[in-house]
Amino acid sequence: MPKLSKKSKIAIIIIGFILLVVIGGLFFPVPQPEVHLSANYGGEHSPEPFYKLGPIYITNTLIASWLSIILLIGFFYLATRKMKLVPKGLQNFAETIMEIFLNFVEGVAGRENGRRFFPIIATIFFYVLVNAWMGLLPFFNVIGEAHYGTSDTLFYKLFGMGQYSGPIIGLPLFRAANTDINVPLMLALVSFLSVEYWGITSLGMRHYASKFIRVGQLFHGFGQLIKGRVKEAIIAILFGIVDAFVGALELVSEFVRIISFTFRLFGNMTAGEILLLMMAFLVPWIIPVLFYGLETLIGFIQALIFAGLTLVFATVAVTAHQSEH
Amino acid sequence: MDAEAMKMLGAGIAMGLGALGPGVGIGILGYGAMQALGRNPEARGPIMTNMILSMAFVEAIGIYCLIVAIILAML
Repeated sequence: MPKLSKKSKIAIIIIGFILLVVIGGLFFPVPQPEVHLSANYGGEHSPEPFYKLGPIYITNTLIASWLSIILLIGFFYLATRKMKLVPKGLQNFAETIMEIFLNFVEGVAGRENGRRFFPIIATIFFYVLVNAWMGLLPFFNVIGEAHYGTSDTLFYKLFGMGQYSGPIIGLPLFRAANTDINVPLMLALVSFLSVEYWGITSLGMRHYASKFIRVGQLFHGFGQLIKGRVKEAIIAILFGIVDAFVGALELVSEFVRIISFTFRLFGNMTAGEILLLMMAFLVPWIIPVLFYGLETLIGFIQALIFAGLTLVFATVAVTAHQSEH
Repeated sequence: MDAEAMKMLGAGIAMGLGALGPGVGIGILGYGAMQALGRNPEARGPIMTNMILSMAFVEAIGIYCLIVAIILAML
């Protein structure tokens, strides 16, 4: 076999790539990405659940999130079953990841507060992480209720033959839990409630509420007005109005966090699923593997962002701001 | 133009314009990170982590637009 020059090697690789694209894109049907934005099941834009237990709907994302809970509990149960002073094997691994994460939390929130925040922050982190990574496993979106049907391939559209006919998965048994809007919403609510709880318990209701209801300066201005000092009174009232507005804005931003938390996680995970399907549609072989790597990274980053933002908001909530004079 | 066409147009415009801002944002982030890397090559690890974290925040804005586009196209 003659030795190929570098140029022809590159040419062969490019031709092979184009062949992959053409053959794959022509003959392989790819399912439509599943996007459900409605939080209600059984509604117009969402599929029927598998099983209805009265008002409880057992959906594919619920099954997936149960699976992740079982996985986490099982892992930490096995790791902490026979604890030794000098850790080995699974215990060593669990201790390492916990210690890394504890250091991260303590680095942001300080030692005392970090220990207090750690359980909820770590739970959010590992839950999101396991759910995101589990959604990449090959049995997701594949096993499920199938119906026989036909699906158009590009080849069929071009030449009018070679239509795919066979089982099509209508309702998969497992779907990544983060792509259901209810899971990010629930996590956002948990994060919101725990931040408020930490803020109130460490600052006291009065002090904590004074961050949002800032009318001290306004009343001060009215007091000046009654005393007859008009010039100071007008200035104080103007600043008081601005101050009260800032407080109201802060109260609103506290609630807006729920929405941004929800849609950040939901959107990223859904966009990941769509991206993988798009890549499988364009090039069915080899190339999607790279995007699985990307999705692994994105799952980790999103888990870190969800937990880290909760941590930062909690740290802000428990630090005392300058009190009103 | 009928309502369906307008909806699809709206979805496309939402995604396109929505990707513009985050694109510029990620560009600025990469520019800053590269400059920092050039000045201080030893600080590769922290720069990388912080850059990726900030990029994820910027990306979230584009993702909001994607959700709006999906809502427009679906409903």
